[in-house]
This record gives sequence, structure tokens and C-alpha cells, in this order.
Amino acid sequence: MAEETGLFIYGIVPSDVEPTPDAEGVGSPAGEVVAIRYDDLAALVSEVGLEEPMGRPADLTAYETLLDGTAAVAPVLPVRFGTVVTGPDAVEDLLAAHRDEFAAALAELEDRLQYTVHGRFDERAMLGGFLAENPDAAALAQQVRGRPEAESREQRIRLGEMISQGVELRREAENAALIDALTPYAVAHVARPPSSELDAVNVAFLVAGDAEEDFIRTVEDFAEQRRELIRMRLLGPLAAYDFVGAHQLAE
Amino acid sequence: MSIVTTSAGQAEGGALERGGASGLADVVETVLDKGVVIDAQVTVGVVGIPLVEINARVVVASIETYLKFAEMTDRLDITPKEGGGLSGLVGDVTGAARQVTSGLGQTVGEAGGAVRELGGTAGELGRTAAGTVNEATGRRPERPRRRRDEGR
Repeated sequence: MAEETGLFIYGIVPSDVEPTPDAEGVGSPAGEVVAIRYDDLAALVSEVGLEEPMGRPADLTAYETLLDGTAAVAPVLPVRFGTVVTGPDAVEDLLAAHRDEFAAALAELEDRLQYTVHGRFDERAMLGGFLAENPDAAALAQQVRGRPEAESREQRIRLGEMISQGVELRREAENAALIDALTPYAVAHVARPPSSELDAVNVAFLVAGDAEEDFIRTVEDFAEQRRELIRMRLLGPLAAYDFVGAHQLAE
Repeated sequence: MSIVTTSAGQAEGGALERGGASGLADVVETVLDKGVVIDAQVTVGVVGIPLVEINARVVVASIETYLKFAEMTDRLDITPKEGGGLSGLVGDVTGAARQVTSGLGQTVGEAGGAVRELGGTAGELGRTAAGTVNEATGRRPERPRRRRDEGR
């Protein structure tokens, strides 16, 4: 154990949050998660070796599992993955230096959770629909069909660009419709960039506890209305990853 | 506080898939580049650690995307009803297989089509394997408790 260690910070919580003894942190073997307190705040941390590469799948999963689990019982400000400090003193200094901002941000998150609504176009439904409505694209598709890319590249790029624009327009419309439908039940929303070329919707919502049921029912209705076209998924409840940001520590 | 179960899956017949972030792609997309940034310049005691490089950003408007879309139209009519397409093997839980008739001709370079399908399958398998490994190691520890809750 000669290796130098530091403290990996998961998130900031009110000081009455207590990690359960079996909460598993990042690293291998998984570090024990403890709370370091200052005034009415605490940071959830675990010890990590400073030479150990961080960010393996298990690390990311441990980080998210801990934060999501915490968010279910208390407000939590996620701290960016990979933030490590020298020791308990540095954690206390950090909490002390930003006490008011952290406390205010936590107060805003009280009884609020993030849900991420993610939808992906069904490839065949999307393209079939697009080609049915766009005769030019359909004609082009017929021309390139089955021909090697090398000899149809120009046309393929043109066809692909037409489809891409069509998907983009549809994506904008679907995102707008989703935000419209859910605005009555969400405190805030953040549109997320598409994670694939067939992304249909990708929006994070901050939802208050008493609106959760209505919110979920509305997402279900939205999904039902589009079941042939979009594969809809609801992620959450999550910690409010998309609703805290760098700006909160602006000096 | 939470009234929602986090078990993966969906209600019987529902069109909405539910659950926490599952699989590495979801986790990466959910947590990476998020959260409060603590600036090492202003805060004493922040240590730089080696981070495994993960690039989650996808460029969705590029020549490559265009070619991919064009290729999708190639397989519009030839993809088998089930198990094909982008989401077949990762579990397209929306239920009923959907078929779209594009009205285009059926003539297709069969060899070319087959090669593309194989490529797609290999890719999906790779992703599924990654997800499985991830789930195997990602045990879900118990949630932290809140002292206040016990008194409520």
C-alpha cells in the first residue's frame, strides 16, 4: 500500500445523508464510500490510488449507481466524474469555500429528480416513411440500390444528405412536441445532443416529486402515439446530472 | 420519496421502455462531462488523475452519416422481419416486429446485402457483450440512507 491515494468526490449532499456501509465506490477493489461533513453540507467520497487509471465501465457504473441511489432519498449535486482531491482537509476546504452556492443548489434540488427521455427512430419506419413522402429521394434510392459504394458514392452522399435533413427536421419536431407535452409536469428541461444519427428525442427533465406520476403517464402516452416510429425509453429517476454545471462555481 | 420502481423493462404491452441507465452507452451518455466542475486553478488540493479516455460525442451530420443512411435504404426490403436492423440484437422491446414496405424494387446485390448484414450483426454482438460485462460487474449497492427519513 505504498501507493499514494486521494479522495474521489462523487457529489455534494446535505450533511444528514449517510452512505450505507455496503455502498461501493470506484476503483478495484471498490472503495468504501464515506461522507465528509462541513457545516450543513457533506461530500460523498472514497479513497482511490492516484496511479490507478479511472473511468473503466465499472467505475462509471459505480459512480452513477451511487449518485442515482442517493438522489432517490436526498438532493445531491453530482461532481464531475474524475474529480480527486488530496484528502479530507481539501474536501472541507472545498465545501467551506463554496458553502452558499452548494447549499442554494441543493435547496433547488430538494424533492426533484431527473428523468431523461430518449427515443430512437425505427430505421425502417423512418426511412420507409421518408422515401414514401419524397419521390426524388426514392428515385435516388432505387438508383443506388445494391450498387457498390465505390461507383455510386456521389449519389449515395446526396441521398444520405436528403435523408439526414429529413431526420433532422423530424427530430426537431419530435423534441419540440415532447417538451411541449411535458412542460406542465417538469420544473426545467435541457435538450441533449443526439447520440446517434437515428436519435428521435433526447431531453433531460427535472421533475418534482408530486408531478412524477403525471410526468410518467404523459411520457407513456407520447410513446404510445409513436410506437411504430420511435423506440422510446425513459431513464430515471436519476441524479440531476444535466441541471448542475460549471457555472455554479463561477467565481 | 420515489414512487417509481427502477427495474428495467416495460409494462405489459406498453410502448415505453423503463429503467435506470443500463449498459455502458447509457451510463457514459448520462454521466460524462456532467456535474459540478471543481477548478484546480481556484481550489487547492485537486489532483489530476489518469482518466481512461472515452469519447461519447457522435457527429450526426457528416459524409459518413450520409453513406450510412444510404446503406440503410439498401436494406429496407431485405432485412428479415425480426432480429435485423439496428436494434434487433440489443433487444428491441417495443414488441411487435414492424415492417415497412417502401414500394421500391426488390432487386438487390445479394452478396453485398449479406456482407452488410454480417457486419451489422458483429457490431451489435460487440455492443451486447460490453453491456453484459458491465452488468456483471456493476452490482447495485444499497442506497445511502438519509437520517432525516427515519424521523419522518
